[in-house]
Amino acid sequence: MGWLDANVVSILNGFALAALLFLIAVGLSLVFGTMDVLNLAHGAVSLTGAYVGVALLDGSVGGGQFAVAVLAAAAIGLLLGAALAVLTQSVTNHLRQALLTLGIALIAGDVLSQVFGADVESVPAPLGLDGSIEMLGKTYPLYRLFVIGVGVLIGVVLYVILERTQTGALIRATVADRTMVEAMGVRSSLVLGGVFGIGAALAAVGGLLAGPILGAQPGLDTTFLLLALVVVVIGGLGSIRGAVLGAVLVGQVQTLGVALLPELASFLLFGAMALVLLLRPAGLLPARNSGAAAHS
Amino acid sequence: MSRSSRSPRRRLAQIAALTALTMAGAACGNSLSDDEAGSDGGLKIGLVVPASGVYEPLGVDMTRGFELYLDQNDGQLGGQDVEVVKADEGEGPDTGVPATTKLASQDQVSALVGIVNSATALGVKDVVTQSKVPLIVANAGADDLADGSPYIWRTSFTNGAVGASLGEEVAQAADGPVYMIAADYAAGKEFVAGFKEAFEAAGGDVAGEAYTPFGTTNDWQPFLSKIQNTDASAVYAFYAGAEAVNFVKQYQSFGLSEDLPLYGPGFLTEGGVLTAQGDAAEGVRTSLHYSNLIDSPENKEFVDAYTEAYDEAPTVYSVQAYDAAAVLDAAIAEADGTDGESVAKALAGVGEIESPRGTWSFDEDHNPDQTYFLREVQAVDGGFGNGVLEPLTD
Repeated sequence: MGWLDANVVSILNGFALAALLFLIAVGLSLVFGTMDVLNLAHGAVSLTGAYVGVALLDGSVGGGQFAVAVLAAAAIGLLLGAALAVLTQSVTNHLRQALLTLGIALIAGDVLSQVFGADVESVPAPLGLDGSIEMLGKTYPLYRLFVIGVGVLIGVVLYVILERTQTGALIRATVADRTMVEAMGVRSSLVLGGVFGIGAALAAVGGLLAGPILGAQPGLDTTFLLLALVVVVIGGLGSIRGAVLGAVLVGQVQTLGVALLPELASFLLFGAMALVLLLRPAGLLPARNSGAAAHS
Repeated sequence: MSRSSRSPRRRLAQIAALTALTMAGAACGNSLSDDEAGSDGGLKIGLVVPASGVYEPLGVDMTRGFELYLDQNDGQLGGQDVEVVKADEGEGPDTGVPATTKLASQDQVSALVGIVNSATALGVKDVVTQSKVPLIVANAGADDLADGSPYIWRTSFTNGAVGASLGEEVAQAADGPVYMIAADYAAGKEFVAGFKEAFEAAGGDVAGEAYTPFGTTNDWQPFLSKIQNTDASAVYAFYAGAEAVNFVKQYQSFGLSEDLPLYGPGFLTEGGVLTAQGDAAEGVRTSLHYSNLIDSPENKEFVDAYTEAYDEAPTVYSVQAYDAAAVLDAAIAEADGTDGESVAKALAGVGEIESPRGTWSFDEDHNPDQTYFLREVQAVDGGFGNGVLEPLTD
């Protein structure tokens, strides 16, 4: 009980971080799963989302205003994702994809710092969520509980769409066998562009939601991308369940792990990644079709 | 066809992992040299401050401070027309050292001003000594940087001295042990070491110490929870830039600011950092050699001129560069020539400098001998500022 009492805030906070990481990483993972594209501009999309918050939110912000900013971030993310889908469509070589998207990321980062300056900007949490509450005798910021809720909600919605709807079946079919889907008369490029757009929209929303916690400043895009890559590598490329598991693991390693072993704080994250790569090189829960391909 | 997807998939996983590692390891630096090659002769001063990377806001403030002094003196230092040659210091020595070397050797400037990063400052020490060009360090605070070498002068501070200035005050004000937390790099350790020595000498008790990974820590909650699980009654913290913003905001949102007063070097709440922290920083007490709220005629005049020129209040970084220009002004007026060696010799004789921060002079190591102020973040017309409570004895 004593141990739990001392660390309950860390565990809870691990889930808040996991929710943010999930929102950002799931797009990276899905885009890879469907399009076979490793989008290194993903972090830049998230940072754009955070700067949408800087541009639209100032001072005291009502819930409605915050919701408008979330929608704006999602819309901008969707457009950026669609643009990235068009750009990467004809590039199939992975190294070239990485170079192309990394180049776009660098340009986007510079443009953002030209427009918004190099100073750290803060994004306010909406009124009513900007305070802290007493939980089990500890103070915890309300906004982070809200982030956990949003993460769970979006996770469930995504899961239901992918597993229980016609659209989801189409996306899963495209992941499994693109040629067959084409043969059945579906334009797979539309499916893929849609997934790219939605993945980027989620990343932008994730960046915006991270704003009240992490702020917005040049360089945050690489932090986002780095953490998302670690989540995807740990969880396994191309699956929602993998992204969830990876995000929860990275979240807990970054909070509970650091709380328990503060002197190893710098090494814990990559130590965990190295361990997973060593034991399960494809990640803990890779997309199911790749497993099937391995068996055949 | 899709059956072949397995091996590229695995290769991609490797690329993803490799990219993650490369990004974690490599700090990317970019260097843009701002060439303003001018005519021979005349007085050339090299200004090396960050024009890119995380320290860019400091570079902007320093450039403004330096240029304000020139504007106020008809573009002259020591009665001579000045040509300012700029170079981008970037984030670290990989960009800062070549930029400085170019100014010292190729552009043959009479003196160099700037340098934010301590590692860069230590890296260029030999360069300026060999080129016989005096360097006026206008920010970097590494304790061992200035050691009486004729070519290294500092108008800013030493980390240890800023830390030490608050030791006695906290020892007297705190009701119990004090916890110390800082970014895990040389400057963070020097601030804490300086503070701890003065604090313990004044009878203070240490509740614990923590050093957080520099540049990769975004969430301080694990460390904050740890502090709450000790018997600490106050906290001394050093962070700067984005880390200072997130640390102070999280310090409030996890409820520490209610029970544990927060102290630190002034950089914790300086300039744009304070704007981003907003009300989360209210009541934080820091020590520094400047605040734009110092109540003196010299400072008021400076703040007014600066605000009029740039539409923004000056920061400690602006003053450090402003004073660097003032020091050069005094030295060049007395120097036998405009070559680096003559200017360096004349620097030894500048004596007391009238500055917005108050009167100060170089000590025997060429560090500033100055007064530190106890500052408290207070609401000031719609925003927040560092109100000056009292000068701290040195």
